[in-house]
Order: sequence, then C-alpha cells, then structure tokens
Amino acid sequence: MLTELATVETTSKRGEVISPLLDASPPRVVSAADFTFAELVALYNQARTDYIVPMPMNAARLREYVNAYDIDLRASAVAQEDDRPVGLAMLGVRGPRSWITRLGILPTRRRSGAGQLLMEHLLANSQQLGVQVVQLEVIQNNHPAHRMFRKLGFTETRELLVLRRPPGRPESPTQPYTATHLGPEEAAAYLTQRRGFPSWLDETPSLHNAGHLLALRVTLESGAWGWLVYRQTIFQLGSLVLQTEQGDPAEVGQALLHALHTRHPALDTKSENLPAADPHVAALYTLGYIETFRRIEMHLAL
Amino acid sequence: MLTILLIEDYADNARLVMRTLQPYGYRILHAWDGESGLHMAVSEQPDLILLDLGLPDVEGQTLVGLIRNQPGLESVPLVALTAWPPDTARQMAEAYGCTGYISKPIDPREFPALIAGYIPPLGTTDFAH
Repeated sequence: MLTELATVETTSKRGEVISPLLDASPPRVVSAADFTFAELVALYNQARTDYIVPMPMNAARLREYVNAYDIDLRASAVAQEDDRPVGLAMLGVRGPRSWITRLGILPTRRRSGAGQLLMEHLLANSQQLGVQVVQLEVIQNNHPAHRMFRKLGFTETRELLVLRRPPGRPESPTQPYTATHLGPEEAAAYLTQRRGFPSWLDETPSLHNAGHLLALRVTLESGAWGWLVYRQTIFQLGSLVLQTEQGDPAEVGQALLHALHTRHPALDTKSENLPAADPHVAALYTLGYIETFRRIEMHLAL
Repeated sequence: MLTILLIEDYADNARLVMRTLQPYGYRILHAWDGESGLHMAVSEQPDLILLDLGLPDVEGQTLVGLIRNQPGLESVPLVALTAWPPDTARQMAEAYGCTGYISKPIDPREFPALIAGYIPPLGTTDFAH
C-alpha cells in the first residue's frame, strides 16, 4: 500500500510533510493492482509536476482512463524504494498488442534505474500475455524518455498531433454543403467502416469504452462527401474521427468541421493523437485548431 | 483590498505565489481544482484570476470558457500559468480569452511586477528587488 511519496522538497503535492529518501535501496516493482486509484493518481501527479505538459488527473479521471484504454492494472506496475512508491507505468492490452502509458518517476528519484525497471517489467508482462507488438508515445522533446525507449528497442512509427480549438462559431464555409446530424447508433455504424490506423487513444474500442459518441455526414455540391464521429461531453468535444468517402479530404474535412462547430459553438474541442499525416489536418487548422504539442509513436515487436 | 483567486493544484507553486504576492497587500484565495475554482470565482468575484492550465479535474482551457460565461466574470483579468513554450502559451491564451499568460516556473523577483501589470496593488509599491 502507498504510505508516503518521496520528494526532496519534503512535501507531497497537497503539502503534507513527508520524509526524504536517503540511501534508498535499489528499486523493485510491484503490481499496480495493489494500490487504490487515489494512491496511483497521487503518485502519477507527483511524478509529472515538472513536465511541460503535466496532465494531472484525479481519481475519477484515472478510473475513466483505465476503463477507456483497457488498462490492465494487474499487469501495470509501481516501482518502490524502501517500500515507498517512486514511479509507475501502466499497460493497456488489446489482443496481440499492448500499450505502455502514464510512465512517470518522481523527479528526485530519476536516474535510479526505476524507469528502465518498470519498462522491462511491462515488456515481460506483455510477453507473458502473448503480446506481439508493444506501442507507446513519447512527447516530442522529452529526450531522456525517448532515449530510453530507443535503448529498449522501440522504433519511431509516426508523429501524432494534439490540437485544440476554443469555443466559437466558425466563419462561413468556403463551399456550400448539406449536413445530417446523427446519433450513437449511426456513429457506431460509421466506425465499422473506418479506414487507417488510429493511435491507441482513438482506436474504435477506446471510443466505444468512453461512450457519448455522435456523428454527422456532409455532402458538398460537387457530390464529395464524408462523415465525422465525435465524442460530446458536457464541456468538450473530442475523439474526432474524420473520413472522406469521396472528394478532396481538405474540402470535405472543412465542411465536416464547419458543421460540427456550427452545431456546438459553445464547446471547447480537443483532438488528441491525430496522425500528422492525416489528410484532414489542413482542414483542422483552417477551422481554428491550434497545435499544443506533438507525440512520437513508437513500436517494439516482441 | 484587491482579491486574487489562484487556481493551482500543485502545493509548492501555490505557496510560492502566495508568499510572493501577500506582502503587496493582495488578498489571495486558493482553489485546488477547476470545480472549486469555478465556485470560488462566482462567489468571490475576484479582481484577478491566476489559472494553472493543467488541472486534475478539468482542463484549464475549458475552465476559462466556463468562467467567462459567468455573470460578472466576463471581463475579469484572467492570467494563465503554464510551462508551455512561449509561442504556444501566447497562442493558447489569446485563443481561449485569457488576458495574458505567465510562464512557469515562476520567478519570484519578477512575478509581483507582472501581476501589477494586470491589477496594480493599492498604494505606493516599489517592485525593485
């Protein structure tokens, strides 16, 4: 069980006084399933406080994350030194593929070997589960982590974009179109026709697990058409899946996004891990999306 | 007394902000997450909001919109605190309706003058350090 978090500042994230680790024994790894969500999220948040993009969570959000991305907590791991948690890494599993995520080591315990130990543990767990390919993403310019993944044998597959668009009604479309707004059943039907290779976050199981899916279809005067599946929560749109069935993806994409934001002008939008080579990227920028950061996707065949 | 609402989930940063600004006569309120920050913004109607863009329950950008939609808070100075590179931070702050942004880590020598640029403290204050 998690009792204390180690830090040189001698305070936890919420300011409780705790003792620093001195002459800690070598790290060892235990299953993340031995910890509560509150304990895991406290460790995760503290491990990422100095990140450019810290992405903190609370226990409820971590629970949603575990559910949406098929995280196997028994196969996920916490690194400990002197029985105190110093880092964690989570493993998502989908058939012959696994996904390493939420890797973080307390700032004061880095370079202790805990990160590599966690990675090796998750790779061994993947092998035991019959996984053939392990994948992960690293934030661009996180050089220490990137180097470690390369050292472990991972190779880069592509760049992924994290984009946001603030609320607001879009300007007039460049081309007239007709839009049909559709419900969850049609969204599910469109996803069965999906092409391409989405990132783990946007794979169809992730979308179904997270729920709240809607869809829309647009047709341009030229006959070009396409569809968009998206997730709508109370404050945000996200998990955008754009597909052009006929015509230029830049034009169809603009019409799809125009229809989306005309219908939901008050909602913030986040598109996470869209492949940089996706043919609809130009349309996203045209409709006011801003790149917040990039990730590099990496794979390792076991 | 001018009131600043700080929405920040990291204790060390919160302490640093409070320790740095309190000598200048500001009243500092602190919320740990977006939900409590929104409630405090509505109930306290602060003169300035300092908002960490990375919060555990709701993303900072989303929270900006929620705050801006509250009566009386449409034009309150709202300053984002972020470790993003300056270009991204500026673009994000402008797009989401923030009044400005301040880069993390906060430099306590410069921070009071930056805040005074949004709401000068009452009375005469020397920002030279």
